Amino acid sequence: MMAAPGGRFTAALAIARRDLVEFVRDRRTLFVTLLLPMVTYPIVALSSALGLRTAVSDLEAKAATSTLAVAVSGAEAQPFVVRMRAVAETPPTAGPAAADWPATLEIEALQDGVAAGALLTGVADVWVEAGAGTLAALDGDGTATVSARLSPSRDADPGAERHWEALVRAVSADALRRRAAAAGLPDGFLEPLRVTIVDAPGTVVATASIGPTLAASVLVLLAVLTLTGAFYPAIDAIAGEKERGTIETLLMAPCSTGQIVLGKFLAVFVVTLATLAANVLSIALTASAAVRMLPAGMSMALADLGGGSLVTLVAFIGLAALAAATCLAVTTASKSGKEAQNTLTPVILLVSALAGTAMLPGLRGNPWLSLVPFAGQIVVSRAALVGPDADGGAALPVVAMLGLTLLSALTLTWILLKGTAAMLTDEDILFRGPDAAPRGLARPARRKVPSVAQGAIPVVAGLALVWYAQGIGPDDMLLAIPVHQAVAVVLPLIAMLWWQRVDPTTTLGLTAPRGRVRLVTSLLGAALVGAGLFVVSAAVMLALQGTEVSPAIRSLSQRLVGLIREYPWWVSAGLMALLPAVAEELLYRGWTLAAFAGESPSRPRAAAAVVAQAVLFAVAHLLPERFPATLALGLAAGIVRIATGSILPAIVLHAVHNAMPLVLVALAGGGLADGDLGELAIGTATRLPPAVLAGAGLSIAIGAALIAAAVVGRRPTAAAEPPGTR
Amino acid sequence: MIEVRDLVKHYRGGDGGIVRAVDGVSLAVEAGEMVGLLGANGAGTTTTLRVLATLLRPTAGTALVAGCDSSADPVGVRRRLGYVSATTGVPDRLTPREILTSFGRLHGLAETALTDRVGQLIGQLGLASCADRPAGRLSSGQRQRVSVGRALVHDPPALVLDEPTSALDVIGSRDLLDLLTTLRAEGRAILLSTHRLHEIEHRCDRFVVIHGGRVVAAGTRAELVRDGGELEDAFFAAVAGAGAP
Repeated sequence: MMAAPGGRFTAALAIARRDLVEFVRDRRTLFVTLLLPMVTYPIVALSSALGLRTAVSDLEAKAATSTLAVAVSGAEAQPFVVRMRAVAETPPTAGPAAADWPATLEIEALQDGVAAGALLTGVADVWVEAGAGTLAALDGDGTATVSARLSPSRDADPGAERHWEALVRAVSADALRRRAAAAGLPDGFLEPLRVTIVDAPGTVVATASIGPTLAASVLVLLAVLTLTGAFYPAIDAIAGEKERGTIETLLMAPCSTGQIVLGKFLAVFVVTLATLAANVLSIALTASAAVRMLPAGMSMALADLGGGSLVTLVAFIGLAALAAATCLAVTTASKSGKEAQNTLTPVILLVSALAGTAMLPGLRGNPWLSLVPFAGQIVVSRAALVGPDADGGAALPVVAMLGLTLLSALTLTWILLKGTAAMLTDEDILFRGPDAAPRGLARPARRKVPSVAQGAIPVVAGLALVWYAQGIGPDDMLLAIPVHQAVAVVLPLIAMLWWQRVDPTTTLGLTAPRGRVRLVTSLLGAALVGAGLFVVSAAVMLALQGTEVSPAIRSLSQRLVGLIREYPWWVSAGLMALLPAVAEELLYRGWTLAAFAGESPSRPRAAAAVVAQAVLFAVAHLLPERFPATLALGLAAGIVRIATGSILPAIVLHAVHNAMPLVLVALAGGGLADGDLGELAIGTATRLPPAVLAGAGLSIAIGAALIAAAVVGRRPTAAAEPPGTR
Repeated sequence: MIEVRDLVKHYRGGDGGIVRAVDGVSLAVEAGEMVGLLGANGAGTTTTLRVLATLLRPTAGTALVAGCDSSADPVGVRRRLGYVSATTGVPDRLTPREILTSFGRLHGLAETALTDRVGQLIGQLGLASCADRPAGRLSSGQRQRVSVGRALVHDPPALVLDEPTSALDVIGSRDLLDLLTTLRAEGRAILLSTHRLHEIEHRCDRFVVIHGGRVVAAGTRAELVRDGGELEDAFFAAVAGAGAP
């Protein structure tokens, strides 16, 4: 019986179907998928409602227990106390005096020394000295003058001053009534106009909504729990197959590894979607119940619940796909479920932290955050549910943001699945035995090029070093740039080269294009691409973000301008162009690109490696506004490195790109901020002359053509074979 | 039906050096023939079988199954070969029937034909009493029979088994080897490796002894065993004669 060839997705669907049956029979998966969301939100809601209620009742209790202790001394202490007590028997029932009236009022006549002591120890809130003639003045037609001191040591009730003033107003009002009665004036004499405020027909009582605040927190929780839904299925899908010894028979299926990975992904995705659905259902049910638990005067109203919920659902379907692909990719290299858990747990924590950035004031209003995985979905959903943010103008409509976040999620999902399929064909990963597992701090085996995981290590280590050194680093750019390059790039790179013992020539591309003509042509082409790219990037940045720049960018520009002004051109060129070009190219287009691409990568893997290292390069610059420009530079330099097989053209491209401000200053005649070129040089340009932009485009086109001509018929040497040649 | 020509497989060892796991192995198994592949741990038997099963790419040489090259046409090989690896396990949460059905679907069998085929295999493998019980509750012998059934679900003309009896008791081993004998009688080519030489001594048609990645002896039992000895003696003699790998 020879089996009939299945359709393109037959094998993938068969794998997905089989895995789904396995998943739903796993109690851990069912718990995380269905039970966890059903339990989590009610617990969160109950604790929040209890917290709110406690806070409100604390406030009410505080208001109810407000006290005012008044110590009165002086010649007429006793009659003044009697008068105040008489007034206190009928406290005001409306107006500010009623609001400020203390719940408990204690008024005592004391000797001077005793009253002073009571005030100093906080027993009394106010010490009043009522001298001789106080009552006579109060009941006559003069002004009674008493002195009052507030306790310097009272700590219980900060409203004592307000309570005292309310008492003073009440005693004054009582005195006025007494004077009017003595003069035979009617009661209305003292109150010529009384206004009573009543509700208009149809008036809705205003309530405070905690919806916007809750929405952000719940969205982050939703993202984390949706991600958690992919946790066990992803571990089970491939690492579990390895542990059970079933992976080999699966790989014997008559289909490509791509279809196997697609089937695995579909199964994990379906479970993740089920988790999302359970979460959404739990949120909806919990919210309807939680509204009743809120204290009076509070609601959970949102700007657009219907449309916002729809946007949230669509955005989070993208997040579910990304979560499934991420968990699958991370666990593929593990050989057992335990190892997969150990690998995936920190990744889940990191991704959760990434999702949390969508709550940060200043960031959450930035529509471009929509592109960031796991944070973008929260930003978009929050914008749709809550409306435009007060702390950041949403420059993009919600639909556009939703499109961006879906595009980002699907692109990343596709890249992750391709990477997972590539890992499943890696014999080292598939058949790695326990002996090959890393042993503590033992140096890893010598390799020709670094492993994929090692590709990111010096970048992460560099960022960590920069973070810890930022407080002690120099401010002067003359020192700051070399120190930064040394700490963030050179030291981690040298350490990894020593630790891993890779072949530096192959890894870093330390070889020149063969032949003088090829060398000159490729270097010239790279220089033209670098020059043009700087201008085109500036134009793109202007189009995307306008002329408003963040304080961080403005500060950096000002410091660089200071460097150009204060030092000779060759100092600026060395620090701004040559040093970063050499150091960063060796790290990103050397080490990282070689690690991601592998020793002899296919064309798709080489392309994925170029994109991955460029993203890392852009992220490592830690300037979100400059992300498109640094990404473009990383991509261009990566392509040139792959095409030429040498790091030299990439260094030239990067150096010329970074040197463009100096060149433009020279072309502008040295007057910074005078004319379009000068403004462009220092990043303050508000427009770009079409001729300059056209020239930049032409420069890139000619440069690319020169590089293409230089690499036609290139025969890489065995010793220095660059990534991407097979 | 199964043919390996000058097969070489090198890989990177834990210390970064090159390990020559298979270094020029050639062998052939005809239809209706059962061949035993013998070798100590690390001799290269598993690597050879994995290359045949398209799980590893050969460094040099060719591995053919029913005329399909494992490098050039891996999917063609997979359609024509059933493979039971030494580490083969079965999913604990699926039943034997579900496991066989899912692999039948992977091979593109139509649902009606698949149901018949699975029913036939369950009967042939003696799994009727536990066909709908989760595999996690099966005995080692039953689980191994499920693995063999999975390798047979698409009715391949060739079968490769890597130490299929290593986890079985005496009764389980004999049942499995009886089954393989039946499959050979049906005209299938069978290549199996094992360390338990006495089990296959009188069942296989021929033997190939590998040591240090090279074939050090090959032939029928009569050709290998001399003076009334046993296959194990012939194996030790061949390995000792080849020297240290």
